Amino acid sequence: MFQNFRLSMAWLHTWFGLALGFVLMACFFFGSLSVFDREIDRWAIPSSRFEPQPMPSFEKVLRPAFEQMQPSKASLDFMRDRVNGPMPERFDTVKSWAAYTTHRDPVLSLFSGYEVSNAKDPEEGVWGNRTIDPRSGIALSDDQLKIGSQFFYPLHYSLNLQWKSVGYWIVGFAALAMLAALVSGVVMHRKIFREFFTFRPKKATQRSTLDLHNMTGVLALPFHFFFAFTGLVIFAGIYFPVTHTQLEPLHELHEKIEARETGLPHDRAGIAAPLASVDEMMNEARRRWADKGMAGEVGLLSLNHVGDANGYVSVFRAGTDRIALVGDGIHFKASTGEVLREDPPRTVVDSINTFLTGLHLQHFRHWLLRWMYVLGGLMGCVCIATGFIFFVEKRKKQHARTGQQGARVVDALAVTTVTGMVIATLVILIANRLLPQILPASWPARGDLEQYLFWAGWGLAMAHAFMRSAPVAKGLMNPAWREQCRAIAALAVLAVLLNWFTTGDHLLKTVWSDTYWPVAGVDLFLLSGAWLAWVSARKLNQRTAATRSAPHIRTSHA
Amino acid sequence: MREAIFLGAALITGLIGMGWLSLAMDTHWQQVRSEPISPPTTVRLRLLGTLLLTSSLGFCLAADHASMAMLVWVMGLAASALAIAFTLTWRPRWLKVLTRPIQP
Amino acid sequence: MDTLSSPRMAIALRISTAIFAGYGFTWGFIAAATAGLFALGMAFHDAEHLSAIFGLVIYLCAFLWSFAARSLGRVWAVLVGGGAAMAIAASLLQRHLI
Repeated sequence: MFQNFRLSMAWLHTWFGLALGFVLMACFFFGSLSVFDREIDRWAIPSSRFEPQPMPSFEKVLRPAFEQMQPSKASLDFMRDRVNGPMPERFDTVKSWAAYTTHRDPVLSLFSGYEVSNAKDPEEGVWGNRTIDPRSGIALSDDQLKIGSQFFYPLHYSLNLQWKSVGYWIVGFAALAMLAALVSGVVMHRKIFREFFTFRPKKATQRSTLDLHNMTGVLALPFHFFFAFTGLVIFAGIYFPVTHTQLEPLHELHEKIEARETGLPHDRAGIAAPLASVDEMMNEARRRWADKGMAGEVGLLSLNHVGDANGYVSVFRAGTDRIALVGDGIHFKASTGEVLREDPPRTVVDSINTFLTGLHLQHFRHWLLRWMYVLGGLMGCVCIATGFIFFVEKRKKQHARTGQQGARVVDALAVTTVTGMVIATLVILIANRLLPQILPASWPARGDLEQYLFWAGWGLAMAHAFMRSAPVAKGLMNPAWREQCRAIAALAVLAVLLNWFTTGDHLLKTVWSDTYWPVAGVDLFLLSGAWLAWVSARKLNQRTAATRSAPHIRTSHA
Repeated sequence: MREAIFLGAALITGLIGMGWLSLAMDTHWQQVRSEPISPPTTVRLRLLGTLLLTSSLGFCLAADHASMAMLVWVMGLAASALAIAFTLTWRPRWLKVLTRPIQP
Repeated sequence: MDTLSSPRMAIALRISTAIFAGYGFTWGFIAAATAGLFALGMAFHDAEHLSAIFGLVIYLCAFLWSFAARSLGRVWAVLVGGGAAMAIAASLLQRHLI
């Protein structure tokens, strides 16, 4: 079908790059923002703007908080069709309680799992979650959307499309296409070493755009490849659920063997038992880590089969100083506090897997590396955006001559995906500051409203991009590019000002007098973005003015 | 503090190393020196550039746990290459200082 | 298989092969590798993860091959045939282990 290997790869790169590029822009952009997801949460939830806290006392803080928890509405709704008869009113048999914290978390995330007595599949249960202030145990209102970790972050791996996990599949396919685009890109790029440092902005748009596309693609090639690949590794269980379908019997066999070997019971005994001091267990864990020469903090605390004689408590060390998220788990018998098991050192395969997933999920403490990840992610965005622009530039004049609308449509979609996406991001931040804390009862929840406004903002940007796209059909530039750049500059500055007016945390305060880097960082990032957008709008304006004085392309009559 | 110094050294050696590797190419050498490059100079620049990039890895390993050091190094190389590329685009003369130790 | 009615059909066939036949081959590989490595004594989750890691690389290769290959027939034979064979082998091995 294709004359040779290089041509087949060029076709693949062009068309899969174009089609999936729209999805990949969102993955790379919101992925970049997700590097600082918790910091964005601080900006969005002013009441959480305090210093990161270590895991608090179980007796004083965690236990009362856990005991008040019940399954979430979403979890109950999901389970409704999966039970025989009516849903139980209360859920008192607790499968698990868990608390997770990192060196960047002021507030603490709590998770709970409950047995459902009349479930069709006895392995399934319902889940609850809550965020608390670990200093007091007081819960954050459920209505406060963590824009970073609960919106931007899931957006980058699932497009927030929950229905039948279709969003996960789209992103997964886009990741595969990304890997294919990287390989095919290398095959196509004949002068990969000679043009390694080449960027010629003064040349024609096609040449300079391709230079930038190649540069941002090649220089960060290991980053792009590894992030797409490790993203797929992380969700491999969703894409290839082999061990929960075809090899489910083997999986069950393993679970039984593992329960026997580790001494951590798989099922409840059905006999009630008290809970020994979990605080003592955490202290013991910390003592054991220090003895091994790896003193550390508790990252994950989990209690299984709560209230039962088979209950056990697992304490995991936070991977702040290494790539692994958590590790070196120490497991205690819940009723007595005796140590049941210390996790052995990781196997080679487990180390490899942990390295791959950990490098993507980044729970380590390393601010330089984090910022370099953001740089890599933004380079990916520029690579994809310049890909779109190159595609349009290459075909614009020809389409203008033949009356085709292809270049125009792709260009409008490109505006939507590049500047439109940034506008939507700014809209949700602005909405977060402008919406009243207490909304009328008949209105949707505040967090939901913020999300609707995000999508509405993106929709408006798309409409604007298409409405202004007529010049592209004549071989000219779509004015929407510079108009949306101007909008970005204005909205970003507005967001920073709104943060000041509604919380009193202006930059002089958050940088100097009462330093708080999470919020200062977001504000500074917004202002840098505003400056970049403003400069881009000016440059685009200059370029359009230059073209206007050049002769027109004669369009054919339809 | 110790970590910051090592990471700073890693970035600087990465930057200079990438600078030297870029200047080993005739096109970029000419941007800076306005004269063609001689083959021995190319070899010298490539050798020194590689040496410096390797020492950058050494500094990364001195600063962090091995698993993180590898990532910091790879990302550092990307950032350095980008910085050098943009310098060659807009301010090539700034790299003149890198050519003096090689060919005064 | 060059007797196709139109270029559009040819492209559609390439894309379907890459996506679906590639997926089937990868599934078969992951199943066979997981069962095989577990049977050889590797810890279950290790076998699962290692198979998935290699499987994803294999999917990428199968995907690229579907576009690069001259004859789609051969691609189909290998991906579908090979995938099915590996999946069957995995189930047989599982039956033996349970």
